[in-house]
Amino acid sequence: MSSSESGPRAMIRSVHDFFFAEETPYGLALVRMLLPTAAMIPMVIRFFHVRELYSTDGTPQQLTEAFGHGQVLPVLSPLLATVVYGLMLFAMLSAVLGFRTRMSFLIGTPLYIYFNMLDAVGTMTKYSVIASHVLLLLTISPCGVVWSVDALLQRRRTGAGGPPLRVPVWSSRMIQILFAAIYFGAAITKVQTKAFFTGEQMRYWMVSNWNYPNFIGEYVAMLPVVLLVSGYLTVVWELSFAFLVWRRWGRFYALGFGAMFHILTNPLLGLRVFPLICLSSYCAFLSERDVLALRRLLPGRRQWRGLVRAPFLMTARLIERRPSNIPLPLLWSAVAAVVAVGAMEWDYQLDHYGIRGNGGPLPLQKMESVVARRMINSTTPIRERDKFFSFNIGSRVMAGQLVNRNREFEYGELLIAQCNLNTPHEDLWVECVVEDDEQRVLDVTGKFVTREQLYASFPYALNSRLLPGNYWMVLKSSGVEISRRQFSLGGDPAQACPTDSLMTN
Amino acid sequence: MNIRKWAVSVLLMSYLGFLGWGIVGHALKIPAAGSALGYFVVWDMFCGWQAYDNRLHLIAEDSNGEYYRIREPWGAFQPFGHEDRLDYDVSNFLAPRHIQHVLEHSEHPPVDRVYVVQEVWGKQYNIPDVLWQKYYDEPKDKVSCFSLRAICTPDGAPIESNPDWFVAQELKSIADNPRLRQQAQSAMPYYNTFFSPLSANGSQMSAQTGGSPVLNTN
Repeated sequence: MSSSESGPRAMIRSVHDFFFAEETPYGLALVRMLLPTAAMIPMVIRFFHVRELYSTDGTPQQLTEAFGHGQVLPVLSPLLATVVYGLMLFAMLSAVLGFRTRMSFLIGTPLYIYFNMLDAVGTMTKYSVIASHVLLLLTISPCGVVWSVDALLQRRRTGAGGPPLRVPVWSSRMIQILFAAIYFGAAITKVQTKAFFTGEQMRYWMVSNWNYPNFIGEYVAMLPVVLLVSGYLTVVWELSFAFLVWRRWGRFYALGFGAMFHILTNPLLGLRVFPLICLSSYCAFLSERDVLALRRLLPGRRQWRGLVRAPFLMTARLIERRPSNIPLPLLWSAVAAVVAVGAMEWDYQLDHYGIRGNGGPLPLQKMESVVARRMINSTTPIRERDKFFSFNIGSRVMAGQLVNRNREFEYGELLIAQCNLNTPHEDLWVECVVEDDEQRVLDVTGKFVTREQLYASFPYALNSRLLPGNYWMVLKSSGVEISRRQFSLGGDPAQACPTDSLMTN
Repeated sequence: MNIRKWAVSVLLMSYLGFLGWGIVGHALKIPAAGSALGYFVVWDMFCGWQAYDNRLHLIAEDSNGEYYRIREPWGAFQPFGHEDRLDYDVSNFLAPRHIQHVLEHSEHPPVDRVYVVQEVWGKQYNIPDVLWQKYYDEPKDKVSCFSLRAICTPDGAPIESNPDWFVAQELKSIADNPRLRQQAQSAMPYYNTFFSPLSANGSQMSAQTGGSPVLNTN
């Protein structure tokens, strides 16, 4: 009887401890310093374009418009938009330093979300969504009680040494749960995405030029086996993250793989801010014990500590020099006002559209009439060869995809010719023609490739009917030659089964 | 538990519910999750990529038949790489505003009309030359397809619009089937405004409710 009562109670107790156990929020403090810094990198770049992206003198396109809700948010005049934008940047810097932390987040976070929602085309992305969540959670968290200007000022004012404050961990847990949800949701998306597990989707992304340069990604895009394996590994990790990250040893796998995954998105996909946002949020998974252990492991920690503490100490000393009758909120507001006015002046000096400069406004670039007319009046359909991404020959297939490229074959081997198609395409009749060195046709095989197909394979048994030598595998679509690959046949003809069918497809 | 803990518990439950709504809504394709609020809890970072790359060109024509490229002369903003902001506008909501905005802030003769042209090419041509030489035997011969997406007035209002190239390709791929084409030609879909069960039942309803019969406004 007692065990049946203690079961639910024990569960409630463990849930309670999960959210309300107390520790010093070093991890949260790291998130407070790193995440707004990462989130502000793209926002600082956009500071030069506030007038164009977020004001009535530009072309903001609100997120709500994309969902058919019209313009829900107010759009400010250029000067006011610049002032408010400057205020947001200052509030975030102030939050990083932990000076009036709660107030800074209360002002900076809504403004960050506002400006992101105001420009759904050039500002709002999923990394801004993740940053918005974490910023909101930081706003309600006690992230400023350690490693902050506020904490330094408090300590100097009260003269208290002693151990740092301990607070319930629920706000860290919320960030952790957010990431578990993100990965679980992302896995569901991938499972629902057609052609994810055959690697085509990953390939299309890697050869898209929508993000920053990713030469390694372009190289990996041509390696189907890497795409296939990494696709499965990613989904398995994303699904298992929530079940392992709160386990003693599981967290090393969940967070270690996650860190590697996010770092690799830079060279493979050309992402820059997304990995920074995610990696900085990972600090929320660091417990007090983890941070203390890491501190002990850090070589030359005294020097590092001094270096990291320097901006906080300097800011605290500067603040302490203010006249004693000026309260801290007033000081914060005064500095914010100076920054806002500076931003306004900056916008004026910038003369973004070049209206006040010499010869302003700037002229439009003229186009050659021939080029313009060709673009406007073009009715040329896509070339037959452009419907095909690639054509290769090899001998090994994994998940339907050819995973090796081979040019030398021996009797008895199965040659597999495979073409990858670009969608959308119509239903196609695709042929593979085997020619000898003098372009005499030896075999022809063909098949319908329907509109939803992303690849088609043509197996060809290399039997004793062929003589040793060089041959060509020619790909044709709608009777048009698309591509050809040369291969050589060698070895002992006796190895080939004489009863092999000519074409095995 | 004290009030503070209760408040935190309510907050936690609400937040978990919000996150859960996004995941379930997205997994089951519930339309409510496809809203601006849903965007904050739907994790579709990898939701599919096209096999063809595409860019949008805005070409202004003046009364003398001269053509101008409508691109910010003060420098186009490139938000996430080396492509202009306009090229990230998948919904095409931005193009009309962009036309009006650039024309208003630049020097040019009076513009008669603006052509919105979509350029499309296979993504295999994005591969660097060194990789092309390694993986392709054919010379790299990129040829773009151009498709007139719309014709607009200088204030961005559309005079004529055509389907997006990708949509057009999909429609063409289906219409390419002669049997479907014949059936579509012989079919005659229409909406019946001559008769509806409600209007046929109107007099009966009117007698029951004592009101006037319902008018069919089709």
